[in-house]
Amino acid sequence: MLMAAKISLLLLAQNAPYRDSIPGTLVRFEMMPVPGDPPLWIGKTEVTWDEYDVWAFRLDLTPRERSSGVDATARPSRPYGAPDRGFGHHGYPALAMTYFAAQSYCAWLSAKTGKKYRLPSDAEWTRAARLGLGADSVLTPERRDALAWHAGNARAKAHPAAAKAADALGLHDMLGNVAEWVTGTDSGGPPVVRGGSWNDPPARVGPTVRARQTPDWNETDPQFPKSRWWLADAPFVGFRIVREP
Amino acid sequence: MSRKSQQARDVTRREFVHASAAAAAALALPGARTPVRRADTLRIGLVGCGGRGTGAAKDCLTSSERVELVAIGDLFPDRVAECRTNLARMATEDSSGGLKTKIKVDDAHAFSGFDAYQKVIGSQLDVVLLATPPAFRARHLAAAIEAGKHVFMEKPVAVDPVGVRSVIASADRAAQKGLAIVAGTQRRHDAGYRAAMQRIHDGAIGDIVSAQVYWNQGGLWMKPRQPQWSDVEWQIRNWLYFTWLSGDHIVEQHIHNIDVANWALGAHPVKAVGVGGRQWRTDPAYGHIYDHFAIDFEYPNGAHVLSMCRQIDGTASHVAERIVGTRGTSDAHSVIEGAAPWSWDAQTPRTNPYVQEHADLIASIRASKPLNEGRQVAETTLSAIMGREAAYTGKEITWDELLNAQQDLVPADVQFGPMPVAPVAMPGQTALARSWRSA
Repeated sequence: MLMAAKISLLLLAQNAPYRDSIPGTLVRFEMMPVPGDPPLWIGKTEVTWDEYDVWAFRLDLTPRERSSGVDATARPSRPYGAPDRGFGHHGYPALAMTYFAAQSYCAWLSAKTGKKYRLPSDAEWTRAARLGLGADSVLTPERRDALAWHAGNARAKAHPAAAKAADALGLHDMLGNVAEWVTGTDSGGPPVVRGGSWNDPPARVGPTVRARQTPDWNETDPQFPKSRWWLADAPFVGFRIVREP
Repeated sequence: MSRKSQQARDVTRREFVHASAAAAAALALPGARTPVRRADTLRIGLVGCGGRGTGAAKDCLTSSERVELVAIGDLFPDRVAECRTNLARMATEDSSGGLKTKIKVDDAHAFSGFDAYQKVIGSQLDVVLLATPPAFRARHLAAAIEAGKHVFMEKPVAVDPVGVRSVIASADRAAQKGLAIVAGTQRRHDAGYRAAMQRIHDGAIGDIVSAQVYWNQGGLWMKPRQPQWSDVEWQIRNWLYFTWLSGDHIVEQHIHNIDVANWALGAHPVKAVGVGGRQWRTDPAYGHIYDHFAIDFEYPNGAHVLSMCRQIDGTASHVAERIVGTRGTSDAHSVIEGAAPWSWDAQTPRTNPYVQEHADLIASIRASKPLNEGRQVAETTLSAIMGREAAYTGKEITWDELLNAQQDLVPADVQFGPMPVAPVAMPGQTALARSWRSA
């Protein structure tokens, strides 16, 4: 009975933005609806360090749990250095994580919240980006500057989430800032990052831009095996989450 | 040895036999045992089989032609087995196929135990890579140079003045014998740092009046204590957190940035005053090291260098150097601002410095012009120790008193067994002259 009521409420709310939090913390994030089939929600911003740190640095555990190593879920190794590259932390997009780490974060967040969070598919990301730009909208240089941090305006660093204007769906930084991990394209193939980043020239920032990971994204990790969690040379890669109803 | 720890060791040995059989099977790759050895091929050995040691082996094999890895050693059998598995994986993953023919470690040349380094050095090597925890570096280096081997060694190269003096003596001996020593202060081999430093030394920012160097980040890994581990095994497996093993994080990690200050100024500091403490990482699982330091170093020309390092979660991260001159400033690797502005052209390919340092080492050996970074890295190590001791003792520490100090933190004969954890250093009380003997 209660469950049925919950589901109908959920269906009613499908077209509404909502705010969620990571249980046991004060960290909140916002999800925006993406019309279409299937309907889904997508993060209003790229996942920030505020969110990512809770998982990556086990801030949801007590100090005692942390030092005894009781935590059963796989979490990132401790980076030897500053993964945020000194760009900024609070309110900035998390960056330099592997695809595996981004996926693992989603699995942890889902278990933590009881909701089904995951990375967008390539097609879902494209749908959100296109709707965000509007059907008849062309990405003029002026519009790109208003929406996106790219190599022409970012001064060689990532910027706080949502410092640029929202698009028509209310999403920030779909284009630029950090490029965003999505699962592979519908025709298969490896995961890609979408949208371009602060590190890309303006022409490489847009709704159709895709990039595949190359060896130089993790060349200078001095360990072998190299980290499966962090990319030593890709401070331009991040992600945002989606949720299915 | 107690019966309990003997049993624990037997279990470890059995696991090791099992693991090494699997690793040996994995290593049976085509080409891996080609007996042909060209006369000018350099034979490489690895001492210290962790992630960095294995990574250093890969960097060395990647850097140059006609080099082959023939022996490995580590204190712990499980790390040796893990390394062999990782070497097999390294060969498989290498798309060029070049590494496959360069990895030639057989069962008879994979050593464990406290004397593993001697067995590696005794394996008809030309070059040995030293990548154990820093406590052992000075002794391993001395043995390698004595045996006539060229050396790559990870930083830091000592944890106390006794170790630094030993490294300086080994560096001098290497020079007499025509042996090369390259250290893992890889910024010295980074094209961007070299280009900026060349300009700084040519006067692009005028006279250097000060610098700021930082390594602020969160905490690092820790391995929860297992019941079968003796005190010494637990400490060595968690070597970061014990001053006698790592030198503390100012020495283990922040040494990179202090090295850049020394490089820019062409000198080592003459004295230091500093603060530090253990405020957040207080659980006994993290040994007795500090979690933050801030040091004021004074150099011979009167320049002051502010050094700051921290390993505390949830705090602002910053890993950087800033060199300040009378005519400008520089980040020491990509940008010079002021009277003679310059910036590194991002389109210029920048080789991986972790590979370049090995390329430079091997090339110097082949050209019979051996690089010898031994004294330089020993002095940078002592500079970092100077910062640590300024904070630990609360006193002003001068270079001369530190270089000659009776501070001897590493037991003469390290063996598995009991070892109490030295108390956390207390400014105003901790003495510069300290020895493992009185612990």
